[in-house]
Amino acid sequence: MTKPHHAGTSGATTAHAHRIDAIRAGDRATIARAISEIENDQPASRALSRSLTAWLGAAQVIGITGPPGAGKSTLINALLQEYAARGKRVAVTAIDPSSPITGGAVLGDRIRMSDAGAADSVFIRSLASRGHPGGLARSTRRIVDVLDAAGFDVIIVETVGAGQGDVDIRTLADASVVVCPPGLGDDVQAIKAGILEIADVLVVNKGDQPLADRTERELKDMLHLRARRSGWQVRVVRTTATTGAGVAALIDALQAHATEAGVAQRLGKTTKDRAADPVTRQLQRFSDADAYQQHIGLEFVEQSPGSATYRMRVEPQHMNFNGKCHGGALFTLADTAFGVAANAYGVVAAGIDTHMTFQVAVDLGEVLTARSTEVSRSKKIAIYRVDITRGDGKVVAAFTGTVYMTAHPHAAHLRA
Amino acid sequence: MNKPLTTPFPASTAEASVLWSAEYSAQIVAQVGHDRTVHNRSGIPIKPLYTPLDVDTSRFDAEVGFPGQTPFTRGIYATMHRGRTWTQRQLIGLGTPAAYNERLRDIIDQGASAVSLIPCNSVFRGYDMDEVDEELLGTCGVVANSADHMTGCLDGIDLAKTSCAMNDPSPFTLLAFMLATAKRRGVDWRTISGTSNQSDYLSHFVANHMFFRIALPGARRILTDHIAWCGQHVPRWNPLSVVGQHMQQAGATPAEAMAFTLSSALQYADDCVAAGMSPDTVLPRFTFFFDISISFFEEVAKFRAGRRIWARLTRERYGAQDPRSWRFKFHGQTSGVDLTRQQPLNNIARVTTQAMAGIFGGLQSLHTDAYDEALSCPTAHGARIAVATQNILREEAHLTDVIDPLGGSYYVESLTNDMEAQILAIMADVDAAGGMYKAVESGLVQGRIGESARRHQDRVDTGLQTVVGVNAYQVNEDASARPALARPAPAEMGAHLRDFAAYKAQRSAEAVAKALDDLARSTHANGQGPRDNIFGQIVAAADIGCTHGEICGTLRRELGFGHPLIVV
Amino acid sequence: MDIRPKVLVTKIGLDGHDRGSRIVAAHLRDAGMEVVYTPPWQAIKTVVKLAMEEDVDVIGLSSLATDHLIVPKLMVALREAGLDDVVVVIGGIVPDEDEQMLLDAGVARVFHPGSKLEDISAFVVEATARVRAARFPA
Repeated sequence: MTKPHHAGTSGATTAHAHRIDAIRAGDRATIARAISEIENDQPASRALSRSLTAWLGAAQVIGITGPPGAGKSTLINALLQEYAARGKRVAVTAIDPSSPITGGAVLGDRIRMSDAGAADSVFIRSLASRGHPGGLARSTRRIVDVLDAAGFDVIIVETVGAGQGDVDIRTLADASVVVCPPGLGDDVQAIKAGILEIADVLVVNKGDQPLADRTERELKDMLHLRARRSGWQVRVVRTTATTGAGVAALIDALQAHATEAGVAQRLGKTTKDRAADPVTRQLQRFSDADAYQQHIGLEFVEQSPGSATYRMRVEPQHMNFNGKCHGGALFTLADTAFGVAANAYGVVAAGIDTHMTFQVAVDLGEVLTARSTEVSRSKKIAIYRVDITRGDGKVVAAFTGTVYMTAHPHAAHLRA
Repeated sequence: MNKPLTTPFPASTAEASVLWSAEYSAQIVAQVGHDRTVHNRSGIPIKPLYTPLDVDTSRFDAEVGFPGQTPFTRGIYATMHRGRTWTQRQLIGLGTPAAYNERLRDIIDQGASAVSLIPCNSVFRGYDMDEVDEELLGTCGVVANSADHMTGCLDGIDLAKTSCAMNDPSPFTLLAFMLATAKRRGVDWRTISGTSNQSDYLSHFVANHMFFRIALPGARRILTDHIAWCGQHVPRWNPLSVVGQHMQQAGATPAEAMAFTLSSALQYADDCVAAGMSPDTVLPRFTFFFDISISFFEEVAKFRAGRRIWARLTRERYGAQDPRSWRFKFHGQTSGVDLTRQQPLNNIARVTTQAMAGIFGGLQSLHTDAYDEALSCPTAHGARIAVATQNILREEAHLTDVIDPLGGSYYVESLTNDMEAQILAIMADVDAAGGMYKAVESGLVQGRIGESARRHQDRVDTGLQTVVGVNAYQVNEDASARPALARPAPAEMGAHLRDFAAYKAQRSAEAVAKALDDLARSTHANGQGPRDNIFGQIVAAADIGCTHGEICGTLRRELGFGHPLIVV
Repeated sequence: MDIRPKVLVTKIGLDGHDRGSRIVAAHLRDAGMEVVYTPPWQAIKTVVKLAMEEDVDVIGLSSLATDHLIVPKLMVALREAGLDDVVVVIGGIVPDEDEQMLLDAGVARVFHPGSKLEDISAFVVEATARVRAARFPA
């Protein structure tokens, strides 16, 4: 049994490496303790999170949200059973609200996951929101990283389910499932302004109830009014979680989404596996040769066609006189994700115009992630968008940038 | 001393009332330090005095009336406790069938007038004795898993003459085993009487979860089949006992417990009618089972109000014509929640008070708790005192000389009206949620019970509600004075287990498999064919030697595993 | 460091009465704790898995009807899983004769009927402080 060791001075490196190995091996106790340290923001957890970045991205992260009483936990119980039948290892983090007054919480999601939760292929961790808005706990992303590094095939994140506010899951999950109870009726208008918009898959749960037909129809009608999201047509799936009906179809829809949204090629491969990819190696060389990136403390995470992801922990040297993260540091983070993605095509891409909005002030200690996406590309001009999100998935700044694609190849030391 | 404010002879009740009120206000704070409004457990404000001004005497015939006449406020029979008093039914169950039988004969000798049987918790969970931790077997009830076991439990009991109450949750295997026993002894099923005491699956889902967790729709079907089958084959048997006890034990106020119980009864009646049974066939076989707390007058009023509501609803909602359909027959059990571990002998006084509330409430059958129930499963000594308590109340205390002796009390009549209004308001909430089945499915009922439980605990913790020996009048106790613990002898239970294995091995595997197949098939049939009734197939399976665990396992597989509907 | 106690409130064995465990769970929540709550009848193996995954400080077991008799089995299973530092308390109907047996098996405390909720939460706070100090020495 692996017991977590507290880092002393000597032997700390060994202990640290030992913990990483234990997490990678799926040791339940080590995973659980690492999550606690992250949840409580203990200093040791930061080194751990950094070390895990080599092992990320292999899991499909599925967000489950929806109003209270929609049957989210029961649906997850059914999903766990179906995934088990398909031989998948699944981790769940379920977030419940903390009382704003006392800080206490009853973490009751396991009540309805007690059948599937007993299986060895399943790991469930309940989290309290601890006053954090947006349906997630503050450190959810880093906790998902631990589970990802531990080699779970699928990670399910169940949000608080408080209603329209639960939109942060969109930036955390590969696919967002919004669970609706039948008879949404008049509420449809209200809900579609909020969480329905983030759905990649809409589930009408309690599908055996009389109003399920109507709700399914209303949701489908609503989707016709909405544009497709980047190559993926949002699907409506009807389930009855208590009997398992429709649950296989839901998993199939999530797989189809992974394929169409470009997630599938990443699944099953960790950061390290993907690092062997020639494009990734090329981008890593850009980062290694970039003195300013090193100076600010940026970390290359991953790439996909037209996209690069960088990460940065906000340290004291990033702070401005108001005690918040300096805008220049944020700009550097976004500009790097933008520039590196644009330079992945083998020629020098020169930035000619950028714009950035700062939406939320960023505090010391936050871990920020910038992911660029290609909005358009012609022979000469390419436009990118970069969102900077913090640990809980909230977007803190948004950036757009335009590059001019020169005809010049990169310098020799940057080429393969 | 304050000078009296009254003249010797006030001119009218109204004038006297005003004078009294002024005098009371002037003195009360000086005497007790406050003039706080008092509420009963159901939250109804209680005044310091009730007078003719609190009751509308012109409504006497409509609201109070006479015993044996609608609306039955004063009792469901003309003779009430002057006639056959109540059935003295002590719920017992411990250890092996042989040990149970010994205890049963003992309490019958002591004065109990009917049989009751509590099975081991493994039975409630739908398992046979060889499927659970051996340490737990028989510690809270008798381990009865087969017709053979039941024959041992009821050795020497005349089934044609003795009313038997089985604490027999769905799917009612204990009744099936008992019918097999009767068949072996040549006793005609039509002479057998008693009650399926734990047939109210909704209350199990809501409150104590002592049910083997078949999914709600399956549980609903089994109960409806059980009621239909018993009506045809065991006509003197009460197949349904609607249970308020679990909910009140779980924390429901007396008004909530009565309201939820009546709402459940309406749900079951609706289901029977929907299955084609006529109201006047099924309603006379409905019985009720309630907790009796120590809130004395509130309990009396709860029962009087419940009787009145049932008499009205059976006629208005179902058009029942048979007076037996209107009669609210209930068993009362003194509340274990009120008993304390501290100074356990004090519990005898509590049980006595609770039992009196039930008697004045007009019950048909009574179980008095043993004083040591808060310490462990009751000992033989505790059970004997509980029986004696009933004997004293019935024959020494002159409680039964007058029917409904508290009827006509301004307080009790007024409180009966108030309780009735509150019960009806809660029932209206359940109706608005789509009836009891839906209200349980949605967690509405569980949520309310949980809130009430916490409110009561807060009152105890803050001292607003005194509990002698717990938050007041504590004494240093001599633990050696506590009763000795009764646990089944491990050697006896070991032998029982070995016998069970041998019993299972010698059966015809083919006959067992066929009976279980027939049972499985019936769960998917439409219920109308001769072998479609699920309970009919359970009786057949029990008769050829299938065990409780085998029957429950088959049903669980076919009808789906249910989750307890827990709301924190 | 945040020492908000994390407590598992659960029931093992055969009994389903959960009034006590619900009241205690709600009280611990109101006292600012994070409470993982389960249905009754958890298997011992499941309780061990749950305590490990949730990394709880304290396990509160509710027992009304003799289910405490299998608690020693749970204590052995927790030790075998390396969870010897988790504090286990029992609340409910536990006869005097059995209390010593449970304490000998490693149970930290038995709360009998009539226990004050404040006493329970105070005990949990104090136990958590000890657990955390051992898990994360300063």
